[in-house]
Amino acid sequence: MNKKLAAAVPAIFIALALGAQTYTGGVKGTVVNRTDKSVVSGADIRLYSGAEEVASIKSGPDGVFFIPDLKDGMYDLVITMPDYIQTRVNVTVNDGYVKNMFKLSITPTAKVTEVDDASFSEFDMDDSGYSDTPTILFGQNDVFNNIAGYNFSSVRFRVRGYSSESQDVYLAGVKMNDALTGYTPYSLWSGLNEATRSKETVNGCEVSDYGFGGYNGLTNISPMASSVRSGWRASVLTNSALYRLRLMLTYASGELDNGWSYAFSASARLGGNDWIDGVYYRSFAYYGSVEKKFGEEHKLGLTFMAAPGQRGAQNASTQEVYDLMGDNMYNSNWGYYNGKVRNARVKKTHEPIAILKYDFTPESNKVTASVTALYRFGKNGYTSLDWYDAPDPRPDYYRNLPSYFYMENTDYNRQNYAKYMWAKESWETNVPSITHINWDRLYSVNTLNTTSDGARSKYIIEERRTDQKDFNLAANTKWYAANFLTVTGGLSFKWNRTEYFKVVDDLLGGDFYVNIDQFAERDYASSPTMIQNDLDYYFANGKAQVLREGDKYGYDYYANVRNAEAWAAGKFTAGIFEANVAGRIGYSSLWREGLVRKGLFPGLDEAGNPLYYDGNIITTYDVDGKAITSYGESEKKDFLTGSGKVNLSLYFKGGHRLYADAGYFVDAPTFSQAFVSPRTRNTIVPDLKTVKTASADINYAFSNAGYNVRVTGFYTYIKDQSDVMSFYDDSQNSFTNFAMSGMDERHVGVELGFKIPTPVNNLAVQGVFSYGKYVYTSNPTMYQTFDNSAEIIKSTYGVKIPYWKSHPGLDGKTKQHYVPSTPQLAASLGLSWNKNYWFIDADVDFFDKSYMDMNPLFRTDMATAGPDGIVTAEEIDYMASQEKFDSAFLVNASVGKSWYFQRKYQLGFSLQVKNITNNRNVRTGGYEQTRLVDNTVSKERYYRFDSKYFYMSGINYMLNIYFRF
Amino acid sequence: MRKLLYTLSAFAAAVSVLASCDEWEPVFTGDYGEADVYEPVKMTPNTTIMELKKLYKTGPVKIQNDMIIGGQVVSEDRSGNIYKSLYIQDETSGIELKIGKSGLYNDYKLGQWVYVKCSGLTLGKYNDMLQLGFADPTGEYETSYLDVQYFIDNHIFRGEIGTPLEAKEITSADLLKEENLGCYVSLKGLKYGSKTENPAGKEIFCLIYVDPNKDTKASSNRIFLSDSGLNYAPVSDPTWGITTWAMSKQGMIKYLNSGKFDEAKVNDGSATVAEIKDKLISNASAYSVSQYFLMGNKEVQVRSSGYSRFADTEIDPAILDGTATVDLKGILTVYQGGTQFTLIDLDGVTVHK
Repeated sequence: MNKKLAAAVPAIFIALALGAQTYTGGVKGTVVNRTDKSVVSGADIRLYSGAEEVASIKSGPDGVFFIPDLKDGMYDLVITMPDYIQTRVNVTVNDGYVKNMFKLSITPTAKVTEVDDASFSEFDMDDSGYSDTPTILFGQNDVFNNIAGYNFSSVRFRVRGYSSESQDVYLAGVKMNDALTGYTPYSLWSGLNEATRSKETVNGCEVSDYGFGGYNGLTNISPMASSVRSGWRASVLTNSALYRLRLMLTYASGELDNGWSYAFSASARLGGNDWIDGVYYRSFAYYGSVEKKFGEEHKLGLTFMAAPGQRGAQNASTQEVYDLMGDNMYNSNWGYYNGKVRNARVKKTHEPIAILKYDFTPESNKVTASVTALYRFGKNGYTSLDWYDAPDPRPDYYRNLPSYFYMENTDYNRQNYAKYMWAKESWETNVPSITHINWDRLYSVNTLNTTSDGARSKYIIEERRTDQKDFNLAANTKWYAANFLTVTGGLSFKWNRTEYFKVVDDLLGGDFYVNIDQFAERDYASSPTMIQNDLDYYFANGKAQVLREGDKYGYDYYANVRNAEAWAAGKFTAGIFEANVAGRIGYSSLWREGLVRKGLFPGLDEAGNPLYYDGNIITTYDVDGKAITSYGESEKKDFLTGSGKVNLSLYFKGGHRLYADAGYFVDAPTFSQAFVSPRTRNTIVPDLKTVKTASADINYAFSNAGYNVRVTGFYTYIKDQSDVMSFYDDSQNSFTNFAMSGMDERHVGVELGFKIPTPVNNLAVQGVFSYGKYVYTSNPTMYQTFDNSAEIIKSTYGVKIPYWKSHPGLDGKTKQHYVPSTPQLAASLGLSWNKNYWFIDADVDFFDKSYMDMNPLFRTDMATAGPDGIVTAEEIDYMASQEKFDSAFLVNASVGKSWYFQRKYQLGFSLQVKNITNNRNVRTGGYEQTRLVDNTVSKERYYRFDSKYFYMSGINYMLNIYFRF
Repeated sequence: MRKLLYTLSAFAAAVSVLASCDEWEPVFTGDYGEADVYEPVKMTPNTTIMELKKLYKTGPVKIQNDMIIGGQVVSEDRSGNIYKSLYIQDETSGIELKIGKSGLYNDYKLGQWVYVKCSGLTLGKYNDMLQLGFADPTGEYETSYLDVQYFIDNHIFRGEIGTPLEAKEITSADLLKEENLGCYVSLKGLKYGSKTENPAGKEIFCLIYVDPNKDTKASSNRIFLSDSGLNYAPVSDPTWGITTWAMSKQGMIKYLNSGKFDEAKVNDGSATVAEIKDKLISNASAYSVSQYFLMGNKEVQVRSSGYSRFADTEIDPAILDGTATVDLKGILTVYQGGTQFTLIDLDGVTVHK
């Protein structure tokens, strides 16, 4: 019954649009995928009488359509859907009856766009404060997203310049963005492409059936058994940019007569690649789901899935290093070990997700509802080298590079050319012990460092763990209140407790490591308490903890987050007009709970009294006289949030649509933005505020007769963002924490996506164009504190960063600073040819106006003034300027074909070749090191450390062969 | 069901086979096996350290021939009091190798034989102490640190780890003999301070900068703590109340807050410490301190780094009040014609009360 209703509702819109009708005839049916008979929702269906279009409608969520009020006669029914071959069917309506076409099959173009999160792995430079997680665009039903998602992913394009955190990703109706950072969580189900293929996406401020969403769209993935394409599918994929091999096997039963559906999938991704040494995959994935329909009204489903495995990470280096190696793909994370390539930075994860989902579809068809309980748990680790009182083992450490010994500018105080040449030779001749991690030396140091307790490791591999326990409950409902009104709404609750800690992963040949803070030891060597990572252990045992492999050390704390939300939306239709109004109210609470007492910030005892050692108070206090503590619960920060949206649409005859969206959002800051230094203490960032966003867009879309066009203009203003980072400040000779608040951005721009048939049969021209201006519009307030003490840094505490949003250039004009990490101009133009299950696509892409991620330190008065305290125009321009990346052209092509055998087997392949011109100079990201060259000859100014960059791979292919049976 | 089992089995077999193929060149993703074992280098020196030292006449000497010296490691930078340098010693003398890396004790063990191919290295002096390092093209110093790892790997070789050498016991008459400089020595019967016996002698010496990031040679940026004040004006306490071996950053802040340095003046006379105390605390850093002792009638300057782990350790009061004598073990050096002594750690201090 609900199917009928779903078909009837849009039909009513058509009826309203066309005015009063008197005929009883009609056409109805269900659009399905020819390959696996799965329903196709959102297909564009047009009915023609001769050349005249008499009706236009989209297939409903279950693929059903119904066109009423047709007079008797012959019609042409044309079904169009992105990534499917256009289908034309003759229909005859007789005697005023509704013609039932039953299942209308449309054939996929066989182009399989393998969006694998592996190609979007985050740049997580944990040591630098820089992190960059890209946006993944799904092309569903949108010509812009369809083309941009495929062609722009390699340059880490962000839609409208928004950060990936602003893109809402739902799984079975539950918001899955990371509770602590907001990052999109695709890696949780990477390798399960088939099981998670069923998606629904809305763009910008549009309202979704699954949640309120933000200003950067919402994608809901349905991972339940009945949503997986029925039958077997096996695929083998090889590519040259990520991993050698992917094997995947998926089976789904579809809905059986007894009401059961079940599905499972498994995959493995293995091996290295042609471009970046040390990057490899040894990742697996598994998925199982069952669903049972009880009568016509109730359905209960259970899904369990995970993507366990490990992945070797890439590191950014300075251009000097890339030039010395003659290779922009150089990766400093690995070294030869026993003749093998061994990577020190490995992501190791196993985070299963369990989902229990109940759907209610009552006979009345007036209401549908679903409730989902979702639990995410397991481990998420990132290994890294750690060392104690020993030289930095990283090969591209700045003191190992030629530039440390000689610079043409004599003010750098680096004038030893002979040393420069020695260092240069070692890099240019690629001496492995110099240019890569020297594992043999690390083992040698450890094994030779004998003590009475065994060999004390000086170098180890640590694993930084972020183990989440994330429980979610979400309920959504949709009520067809009247012909002109549909109401959707929902409630959600999130309980998240994440434990952050480190473990000793590998002692590298030694027998033990010791749990002390070597950075504290530099300043407080004579204090036995202040250097302790676990002061309570020290008090109980009289010495620091001796660590073996698997032991926790360093820091250990819980991040606690609670979110609750209620939202509702009403969709009103009247003739060609449609309006959707939505509102949301939310509550967030977050706090830290320290599980160990750190010697630097021991806090108070259980009675609230200061702690003493050797007769001296060891409790430390902040500027307000409050004890700083690393142990126990912090103050809870509560935020009440609320948002509103409105979508207005006008549907015109002939496939034209004009629509506009607007929204205002008040969002809570994330846990990762809330604490000054969560690894060491409970101190909350001063001036922590909600983030306010106003966003609007206006769009024109045209979809008819093979034409598919969308043009959008958008404006978004984001206010009061905050950020936190930690870095070594050379001017203070100390490790410091740096918080920024009141950071505002403005995003203005246009988007165009089009696919247009050409006079040549089966050949279309397609392209996208995105041009925007994404800028900073405020100078945030900074709060810099020492990491090792309770001290604040007076000159950079509670004052504005004067050159954050812009700086005066040498010509006196103001130089604007831009939101980084995405090209602000991106364009693609190509041809697409489809015939007889062949497809061939070729595109040329252009990217420009991409900017470097700025560090705030360089934009302060301190850095621009230099040691002499005198600010000059040259110093400001040098220090505060933002680097713009070079523009880039790329050429991509893909080809595919599928064959059907005995009407039940399908064999197909797709081959994509990207960056055909082998352009190896395309910077896809980078960051400024927060370090200053301060030992200058003149003592008048500082110089920047060189920035670090990531580059895109050269020419690479991806070949996917699949078999359905 | 058979089809299902067959398909699943085939897939599982394929994954197992491929996953167990550990190597997908060039990346290895499985068991890494054992690291290469450290192999000591065997080399025969053709020159003694003393012979090398004698090459120095009036200025830095860049060594061109295939001279190889060898010696056993006698210094350790574990405590942080020796920084970026390594001292090796053979039967003729000892010498400082300016390697220019921190944490050298991790690679060069006490007693370990170290061989140096001297060709390309420069022998030079710093305030009368001979050192082996790299040429300094700026001319500011006679040598610079070697510190290019590739250069070090081609010139300095690690041999067998032998038994650490015993300290050479030195009399006051032999303090400045070249054969003893750079050696691990034992000095016995030292008394703190030299003021009583030698009016020109000092109790302590410490140079503080108003702002270490600015020109450290400008008199407006320097404050001297020694036995006399600006323009040799007498001071009330020639030790300035310093009772620790040196001052870490936190130790420095403590001393500043104690008021003990308040009378000291910036070297251009522009201000006293009391007047610019906030600035000094804000710019505080670790500072080395020289403590002066007498060995017989010879002055021995014991210089300790503010970055050493024992910087803030209190010197035994019995040493400071002169009621105890002290035996020291460490590295003997020379500074501007006088004897300087560097403790390796506080195990090198024996107090006789």
